[in-house]
Amino acid sequence: MSEAPEQDSGNERIGSYVYGILRSGQRIPDGLEGIDTGSESGESGLGLVSAGPLAAVVSDVAVDRPLGTRQHLLAHERVLNAIAVETAVLPMRFGGVLTDDDAVREELLEPHRDYFARALEDMADLVQFSLRGDYDQSVILTRIVEENPSIRDLRERISGMDEDSSYYDRVKLGEAVSQAMDAIRAADADATLDALGRYAVATVVKEVSGETGAVHVAFLVRRDHRTDFERAVDDLGDEWSGRVELRLFGPTACFDFLPEYDVPDQDGE
Amino acid sequence: MTVSQRQGGGVQKAPQGGLAEVLDLILDKGLVIDAFVKVSLVGIEILTIDARIVVASVDTYLRFAEATNRLDLHAKGGKDLGEFMGGMTENVTQGGAKGKTKGVLDAGKEKWDELRDERRASRKQES
Repeated sequence: MSEAPEQDSGNERIGSYVYGILRSGQRIPDGLEGIDTGSESGESGLGLVSAGPLAAVVSDVAVDRPLGTRQHLLAHERVLNAIAVETAVLPMRFGGVLTDDDAVREELLEPHRDYFARALEDMADLVQFSLRGDYDQSVILTRIVEENPSIRDLRERISGMDEDSSYYDRVKLGEAVSQAMDAIRAADADATLDALGRYAVATVVKEVSGETGAVHVAFLVRRDHRTDFERAVDDLGDEWSGRVELRLFGPTACFDFLPEYDVPDQDGE
Repeated sequence: MTVSQRQGGGVQKAPQGGLAEVLDLILDKGLVIDAFVKVSLVGIEILTIDARIVVASVDTYLRFAEATNRLDLHAKGGKDLGEFMGGMTENVTQGGAKGKTKGVLDAGKEKWDELRDERRASRKQES
């Protein structure tokens, strides 16, 4: 990165926003945009702050402006994903800012060097994929009605009633449908792990999003197993075609698989 | 974002999802600076998180009931149901902070007065 010119606006307060941590000696992909700081230079300002074997991916951020716009959030992950495609990077949670680059070096990287170095070694050949699926609503509901006599009966009873008098029956019907869907979800999560688990080093079954969410599983995949994994995902998509619509996101940094870290006791809160 | 669609599987693939998918990762997961150093975090507007909903609610049940009642079990199709539900699932994630909370996103109450006057332009791109 070129030398930053002196800030024109004298008292604009700037901090160092941290995206993630990688081994030193790596490059940030060209043309990558960081979070838009709103500073007048208009540059993304992405750079590396190195300390020994580690480097942090940082950019300047104006500290008197709130973070959290859509652009900020998407940029945080975009930067990490672009790096993760090429090399291991430990992702920070969104929103981490230190006072300046020296603080990144002296207060983040150096004191926790062993943990970061070990975690980077563990994650060296691994990337994360997230698989999400949604049910086709009419297909899943039809199946539920057909498989559950009690739901079918309830549905028929309601059909002859006006809205007010059927209220409690409708709640009951919806609850029964919801429970039946949960049972199908659990079976589909197992089926997903059966089909794809062997291509992953680790898996995490996560909560689905939305009322017709079907599956949500995070996979930790070796870089050299990526093709096999993706092919198996396609096969599962074929098998579930018309019933579950699958979406695969990745490769990303290993957000769901970071090694546990014991937060050190720090007095003087 | 590039989205590629393979003919056979029909599995949508993208490096990164939309805002809902991104939030699930970068707000719930990832290392937290505050767990490592007591420096500071700027104020964060995480109002978007309020969009998260709890799935099992009476409202949900009533919507399921209505959709179930509208099912035409003897005819194929029923795309109108999809359109009925369509708006509901968009950009909504559920569940709140289920991940291990390794630190607290304290909104900017700390120490910007300690901000140093000088910032050294010492960042470098290594190669």
